[in-house]
Amino acid sequence: MNKYEKAATGAVALMLVAGAAIFFFAPTDYLQGPVQRIFYLHVSSAIAAYGCFAVVLVGGIIYLRTESPVADRFARAGALVGLVFTTVTLVMGMLWAKPIWGTFWTWDARLTSTLVLWMIYAGYLLVRRLSDPGRQSARLAAVVGIFGFIDVPVVHFSVTWWRTQHPGPIIVNDALPPQMLATFLFTLACTLVLAAVLIGIRYRIETALDARLNVSEPAKVIAAKREAEPAR
Amino acid sequence: MNPFNVAVAVARKDLRSEWRTREMVPALAQFIILALLIANFGFQIDSHNAPSIAPGILWLALVFAGLVAFGRTFAAERDQASLEAMLLTPASPVAIFAGKAIAASLLLIVCEAVMLPALSLFFGTPLGADMVAAVLLATVGMAALGCLFAALVARVRARELLLPLLTLPLWIPFIIAGGQAVQSAMGLPGSYPEAIGLLIDFDILFVVLTSLAARFVLDE
Repeated sequence: MNKYEKAATGAVALMLVAGAAIFFFAPTDYLQGPVQRIFYLHVSSAIAAYGCFAVVLVGGIIYLRTESPVADRFARAGALVGLVFTTVTLVMGMLWAKPIWGTFWTWDARLTSTLVLWMIYAGYLLVRRLSDPGRQSARLAAVVGIFGFIDVPVVHFSVTWWRTQHPGPIIVNDALPPQMLATFLFTLACTLVLAAVLIGIRYRIETALDARLNVSEPAKVIAAKREAEPAR
Repeated sequence: MNPFNVAVAVARKDLRSEWRTREMVPALAQFIILALLIANFGFQIDSHNAPSIAPGILWLALVFAGLVAFGRTFAAERDQASLEAMLLTPASPVAIFAGKAIAASLLLIVCEAVMLPALSLFFGTPLGADMVAAVLLATVGMAALGCLFAALVARVRARELLLPLLTLPLWIPFIIAGGQAVQSAMGLPGSYPEAIGLLIDFDILFVVLTSLAARFVLDE
């Protein structure tokens, strides 16, 4: 087993322990019943997704300043892993909303801004797919990553100002019983470890892809060819 | 060179070339009228529901007209490869970018001068200074973001695909606040002054961010 396989096995084992804690250690919610157990992974993966997008933001800023291919690879890895966690958050939230709110979807601040978040980073990955790998593509993606990160709180704020019904943050004002809090914090820690391991593995894959495409150095040649194309 | 003079010169150049060819504005105006025509068939509009449907039509038509307008901003420069020539001059890239953004937003404003009366004519909604102010304020921020991404995707092969995908999510704050402002201007519930205040805040935020990012867009 190499170090990536070891890390992946460890992260999966941690997630299984977190699952056991969610179903056997945490008490059943008095009002919502077993559905409330969705909360632990839902909130954890939302926080993990924000963490991943923070990696994209920092990677983008460093890339714009230094053009370091390492920062760009981390940004790419962060965007992909973050998008997976955002999908998990959205799907689990919808499963919870159906029995509790009576509908899968409503245009509330958190739901709307999470959907916009998903759209922005799906766009980020499409930028990487639709433009030729190299300096131009990395710069474009870095700007998308930075503007996307700023846009999400703005969307969130403007919808809150408009209308909202999502339950408020209950962890901060300690309304959560200690056993639930312990389960939540443990699940959060496991999810963050999983996100870090996934980013690490994806970084390795991006490095291999870069090596195959031979774009470890900023690819100015490709940009120059492009400009010489006849007018369309 | 004074960056302000550079921006004005670039904007004047773009507007003059538009005045001589008269390509963009007639095409966009026709596009907008067509959008209103299609909306007329898509919705059952009468005098009761017009104020609740017309703002949505307005923003949809404006957003797609904006995408076309900003997507074309760098088309002429790309076709003639004249952007490189402009960048070789000692003028700052940010000033060149600002000039192009100003010209593109002025062209869009001309189209809005067609759209707002047409909307009022076809759907019987009121047309007041409050509505015009909301649309103009939203145009400022949307133009800044739209031109930034138009410049970024100008050299990408799939630019027609990427521009809407990247720009639309970032325009959402303007649609939320602008939509609220237009709705309350048409007599629906909601605070008009708050929505306008929010639009001004977003304009300042995104114009500042765009001018910071413009440096990385045009220097090659």
